[in-house]
Amino acid sequence: MNVMRTLFDKFKNLKLFTKMFMVMVVSIIAVSVAISWTVIHMSTDLFMQTFSITNTKVLNQIKSGFESYNDAIVTVVSNANQSGAMKSFLTQGDADSLSTAKSYFNMSEQMKKLKSNLDAYEVGITIAGVNGRVYSTDRSYLSMDDKKLKQHPLTLNSHKDPKRLIYQDYKEITGTNGLGEPMIVASKALLDRSTGYVYGTIYISMKERDFGQVFDSYTSLGNDVFILNKNGMIVSSNRQDRIGYMSQELLDYAEQMDTEASDYLNVSVQGKDSFVISDNLPTYDFYIVNTIDKEIALGQMIDTKTLTLIGIVIVGIALSIVFLITRQISKSLTKLVLQMSNVTHNEFGNHITVTGSYEIRELGQAFNYMVDELHDYVDKLVETQKGQRNAELAALQRQINLHFLYNTLASVKTLVQQGSKEKATETIHSLISVLQNTISNVSETIMVEQELGILKHYVFINHARYGDRIKVGYFVAPECMDYHVPKLIIQPFIENAFFHGFNVKSSGYIHVLVSTDGQALYCEVVDSGDGIEGLPSEDAFLNTKKSRQMFSGIGIKNVHDRIRLLYGEEYGVSIVSELGNGTRVKITLPLIKL
Amino acid sequence: MKKLSVVLLTSVLVLSACSSKSEESNTSGGEAAGKSKEITVWAWDPAFNIAALEAAKEVYSATDPDVKVNIIEYAQADIIQKLNTGLNSGTTSGLPNIVLIEDYRAQSFLSAYPDAFHELSGSIKPEDFAEYKLGPTSLNGKQYGVPFDSGATGLYYRTDYLEQAGYKAKDMENLNWDQYIEIGKAVKEKTGKKIITLDPNDLGIIRSMIQSAGSWYLAEDGKTPDIVTNAALKESFMIYKKMMEADIVNIHSDWSQFIAAINKGTIATVPTGNWITPSIKQEASQSGKWAVASFPKLPGNAKSVNASNLGGSSWYVMNVPGAETATDFLASTFGSNVEMYQKLLKDIGVVSTFKAASTGDAYSQEDPFFSGQKIYADFALWTEKIPNVNYGMHTYAIEDILAVEMQNYLNGKEIDSVLKDAQSQAETQVK
Repeated sequence: MNVMRTLFDKFKNLKLFTKMFMVMVVSIIAVSVAISWTVIHMSTDLFMQTFSITNTKVLNQIKSGFESYNDAIVTVVSNANQSGAMKSFLTQGDADSLSTAKSYFNMSEQMKKLKSNLDAYEVGITIAGVNGRVYSTDRSYLSMDDKKLKQHPLTLNSHKDPKRLIYQDYKEITGTNGLGEPMIVASKALLDRSTGYVYGTIYISMKERDFGQVFDSYTSLGNDVFILNKNGMIVSSNRQDRIGYMSQELLDYAEQMDTEASDYLNVSVQGKDSFVISDNLPTYDFYIVNTIDKEIALGQMIDTKTLTLIGIVIVGIALSIVFLITRQISKSLTKLVLQMSNVTHNEFGNHITVTGSYEIRELGQAFNYMVDELHDYVDKLVETQKGQRNAELAALQRQINLHFLYNTLASVKTLVQQGSKEKATETIHSLISVLQNTISNVSETIMVEQELGILKHYVFINHARYGDRIKVGYFVAPECMDYHVPKLIIQPFIENAFFHGFNVKSSGYIHVLVSTDGQALYCEVVDSGDGIEGLPSEDAFLNTKKSRQMFSGIGIKNVHDRIRLLYGEEYGVSIVSELGNGTRVKITLPLIKL
Repeated sequence: MKKLSVVLLTSVLVLSACSSKSEESNTSGGEAAGKSKEITVWAWDPAFNIAALEAAKEVYSATDPDVKVNIIEYAQADIIQKLNTGLNSGTTSGLPNIVLIEDYRAQSFLSAYPDAFHELSGSIKPEDFAEYKLGPTSLNGKQYGVPFDSGATGLYYRTDYLEQAGYKAKDMENLNWDQYIEIGKAVKEKTGKKIITLDPNDLGIIRSMIQSAGSWYLAEDGKTPDIVTNAALKESFMIYKKMMEADIVNIHSDWSQFIAAINKGTIATVPTGNWITPSIKQEASQSGKWAVASFPKLPGNAKSVNASNLGGSSWYVMNVPGAETATDFLASTFGSNVEMYQKLLKDIGVVSTFKAASTGDAYSQEDPFFSGQKIYADFALWTEKIPNVNYGMHTYAIEDILAVEMQNYLNGKEIDSVLKDAQSQAETQVK
């Protein structure tokens, strides 16, 4: 289980190509193996069916072959039984040469006639009489001694059942080499029907190899025919090596099929998987058994080697094609993936190259379309945010202005009450200038010079209000005068310095410095006031809450954000402050000249 | 790297698939060239012809051990039937490379199927063989057969039975058939044994009788039936009937009964070809009880001599694949090997017709079975006296007619009408 999991995990982590290719290899092999197996299986089934049909027919044909042989023999035997010449030849006692010669001659004439019934077969007819005379058409069949023949089971079995024609197997021992030539001998006692007197025996012998010709042409390697007698002995077969041997196995199958009336058996014969068909030859009292060695028979029909080779070749070709196609697909996919991962590097500006197959091209186009859409969306978002920020800023500024207006108007009221009419007029004049600049668009920029003008009016108002115990100095590099800055960008810091920087100290100064290093414009507001606790370094970012406490009105962070929003990351506001030593606010802005 | 290995694997598979076919195509067609390594021989009589073949096979295996010689035994009638069937059908399949054919039948085969037999003129020297064998074994001056055994006849007799009947060896020499019948009667009277055994279907005895007088079923042209005017034949018929009527004849119907009659002592004499020697000798218990005298002659025919012929056969090579090997086999054994013939004579009793062989020691040897009689020397002597006849082409066709007519004659038909009827039947049949 763990191994499986590990394997599966490993598989999951493989590259797409390897994965696809592995799946393909496994599937193609599985499919081809499955198809081959099915084909072989189907043809085996088909073969089995065909086999059982054709071989049953073949068996019937063989059977009828044997039956016609039997019919011929029956004719011969009955003719022999009816022949008076034969009867007298077989029963006659010792006679003189002349009558003996006649008897022999007549016998030979009879035998010639008899033999002609069996001309179609290679047989030898032997007739033995009770008087010891034996006449044989061919002594090479049944060449044993006449006396021996009389005592032989061939004779004795016939005499036991004199009315029946019986078939027996017999092995001829020939003189020259002592090797037996197996024979099938049909024998019958010749008897006088009326008295039942047995006066002789007729033997019709056929060599097994001639007997076997009835079925030989139907056999082939692995397709064997066996003729068994009722004891299970193989009396004839195309398998010469098994003739004369007992085969209980085949006998059992034959008996089984005889009783069950089944078409064929699927059993093991001599340890080999075989089909078996059997029938009986009632006239012979033999069984005829046809066995087919499946392995050999199917091997002849299904060339497994060729099939396998064809399979391997097809699988090989398919795999190489799959390999090439998969590689092509995965290659364009990999390229696509590579390009996609690079898209973010350039603010969604990179379009990917649209190549490869249809799907890949569609994917690329969709992706490009998406990137474009995204790009538009982001632009819109930025625009919206800018607007939002400006609106917020404007609202804040308006808030300041009201506060400032209130203070200033209170100062003017005081001045009027004090009777310094001229100063009041000047203050209102400054207020008007400040308001004039404030009311207009917040995003508008003005030249440093103008901003300074506003600042001066503002400072004048404050001086008028609170007295001039806080001195304000302007140090502006002349080349900076023409640069544009966002309107009222410095004013909030002056305001802060005025209203929060001098709570402890009663007097001090505020310096406004504007300078440039050629790359940026630096506007600094330096006061010598109380300083702010917790702002130890220049880099520290401003805490909104703190700044709220320290700076009334506009949050320093808002200004900072606004600048960054307008000009980019490298611009903004930084504050350095030390408790008791004052505060330094530095605004970094781009150089803008309209 | 992965890619490369996949490409290699694929190409190996494809290549192996392509190459597997080519190996199988080379196997067939290799045997066509060169000498055939297996030849088949058909013959009959295990005690004689087959035994001789076995000896020749052994001799030849020293010459060419690679050649396999299959010796197949058939009854002579089977061989004739199989040859006729095979040659008639025009296919050579199933025919042997070498076949033994009886001299009586040789001409009918040679003239009917001259192309079926392989000419041996260049392979053996016809002049090496007995002259009377060359007629049957050649056609139109071309030698086709290797002459084998002599059919020289003799009168084999049981010395013990004849002694009982009062006859000495001297009394048996140069008999005529009348004397023979008289002896037969005496033997039957004294011993109860028959003098001869005959097969009513086989007129071999008649053939021997007429050849002793230089006569045959056919005239000298080998084609015209010579029956009704044939004095020797007429006399032979009468002798045959006389023997039957004297009740001195045992009847048999086949070869094994014939041999059984000899071996079991049923009969006292066997007037037949010398090829019977091994069959007689196979009953060892009768050793010393046999002798051979010259063949009886016809008493009423001046031309008749005490020598004749019965059977005898020769080897033929058939024009089937392997003919060269078969020719070589015959040429180096039956065609020339004196040593082998000596051995055949000594071991089997084959009296050959190879002239050079008849001068060897084996011919002058005394045979203990025949009480020390130099039977082969005797046969050699009688062989020289055999009258030469032309067997022609229809010996057995005529004999079939004669066998039936013989029965009619035995049943009482007049001899002249018997022969006349036979003549007219023969003329219509053999033409």
